[in-house]
Amino acid sequence: MSETTAKPRYEKPLPDMRPEGDPFWAGTKEHKLLLPAGDDGKPFWYPRAYRPGTLEPIQWIESKGEGTVYTYSTHFIGPSKAYKGDPPHIVALVDLDDGVRMMTNLVRDEEGYPSLDPDAVSIGMRVRVVFHDVTDEITLPKFVPAD
Amino acid sequence: MRESTPDVREARRMLAKGIVIAGVGETEQGLLPGRGSFQLLAEATKLTLDDAGITLADVDGLVTAFSFVEHTLMHATTFGDYLGMEPGYFASVSVGGATAPLMAVQAAMAIDAGLAEAVLCVRGDNTRSGISSSGMIAMAREMSHGAYEAPYGLTTIGGYGLLAQRYMYEHNVPQEALAAVVATQSEHAALKWNAMLRDVVTIDDVMADRWIATPFHAMDCSLVSDGACAFLVTTAARAKDMRSKPVYIAGVGEGYSHQYITSAKSVDGVRQGLGRAGRRAMEVAGIGPSDLDVVEIYDSFSFTPLIALEGFGICGPGEAGDWVLEGNAKLGGKLPMNTHGGLIRQAHLGAMHHIVEAALQLRGEADDTGNGGGNHQVPDAKLALTNGSGGILAATSALVLSSEAPSA
Repeated sequence: MSETTAKPRYEKPLPDMRPEGDPFWAGTKEHKLLLPAGDDGKPFWYPRAYRPGTLEPIQWIESKGEGTVYTYSTHFIGPSKAYKGDPPHIVALVDLDDGVRMMTNLVRDEEGYPSLDPDAVSIGMRVRVVFHDVTDEITLPKFVPAD
Repeated sequence: MRESTPDVREARRMLAKGIVIAGVGETEQGLLPGRGSFQLLAEATKLTLDDAGITLADVDGLVTAFSFVEHTLMHATTFGDYLGMEPGYFASVSVGGATAPLMAVQAAMAIDAGLAEAVLCVRGDNTRSGISSSGMIAMAREMSHGAYEAPYGLTTIGGYGLLAQRYMYEHNVPQEALAAVVATQSEHAALKWNAMLRDVVTIDDVMADRWIATPFHAMDCSLVSDGACAFLVTTAARAKDMRSKPVYIAGVGEGYSHQYITSAKSVDGVRQGLGRAGRRAMEVAGIGPSDLDVVEIYDSFSFTPLIALEGFGICGPGEAGDWVLEGNAKLGGKLPMNTHGGLIRQAHLGAMHHIVEAALQLRGEADDTGNGGGNHQVPDAKLALTNGSGGILAATSALVLSSEAPSA
């Protein structure tokens, strides 16, 4: 019997998987932030099988993962029991420099990805992506204050 | 009146026939264990038929919504079976908080098309006592994108919070403005016989309450309630033989800018998107904001009516907070708003109570003094605007109601 240190079971919501999102989640697993884009290379968010509005075929481009906080809401209560006892978590919308807006959590650093202190958050602050491996299969892109 | 587009002319043509709300009914609201979802709907149905002075046999159309407790793919006909009726026209409408005004529109269109003449619109549920904790979790996730929002622990409250915080940032709106909506509506709910929260709260009380998701304290959020509510839509000609004073549907409008909050492009985009519903309803009615006597504005959160007031052109962009702080939305103010207490203080049944309250105001019957409440009647109210919004300020539907027949 080999000794393994099993990760505690992750009880928080995991993404609903749909085929059109597979390249995105494959990317985050490799700690890359891939964005769906149209023929002209202009990205859109969230992943869909066709470019919204024009229904063109899509391609994937890699983002540098830098952006600005458009808005945020400090959640004192989460959507499920798994959040009970946690400090407040910050749900934010981040405008990536690539020109798309995505939802994320703002975290302090990559040591356990603790939530950023609400007092340290402001609209307009610069942030950069980090990759939180929440399970063996799923990696969620989160954001930390840019240095 | 300025030149109108063909769609507005078509809506006017329909409403010039005289489409009215000829009866209303609302049950008790709150925690009502021992009454199931369909039972509550039946109770509201009976109250509404009694108000109109008709029987079930006189109803030939049934429009219902959905239930969080009684899961059925075919809600209208399932409830029709419960009632023991065989309506010639039936539809279930499901657009979240925009459902109630859309039920009225659905009924009006059915009547205009000759599919029915007396359409019962009814919505209710035992959401508070009948829903399991896993059901509540499912509800909390309902408005999130399952892949790109839900994993971040977004709640519906926080989804509104995201937009509200950006709105407050762009327009420099203080927290007190949100609290003023709650305080104002608490004064109104104190007078409404079936309001769940009858105590009057101050701006300071709201500001001192516990946080749920910024910028919302618990008191900024709408209630979860058991109860039901209904209204009967028919023609002015049919209503002549009925018991209560009919209220005319004078304008209808819809607006939509996004579904997921991540897809909302900007604060102003949301304001204009949902605002189109109210602006169009007023255009169809041939009126402007200054003609309104009372407004019943969807209030899922304290922030919700602020952006709607601006979208409808009642206030300028970013000005609704000051407008409420100045007391304009109070009974006795310039344009009383949510005279029944709204979703924040009375009960949450989407926009059903907003429509019923608007109808009662225009009938001159919003005095609950003899019914355990108080007088919340706006003197001589003739024109009301009401709306509902589904999702996170996504789909919106609005009605202008009038005590008098629209001029063709």
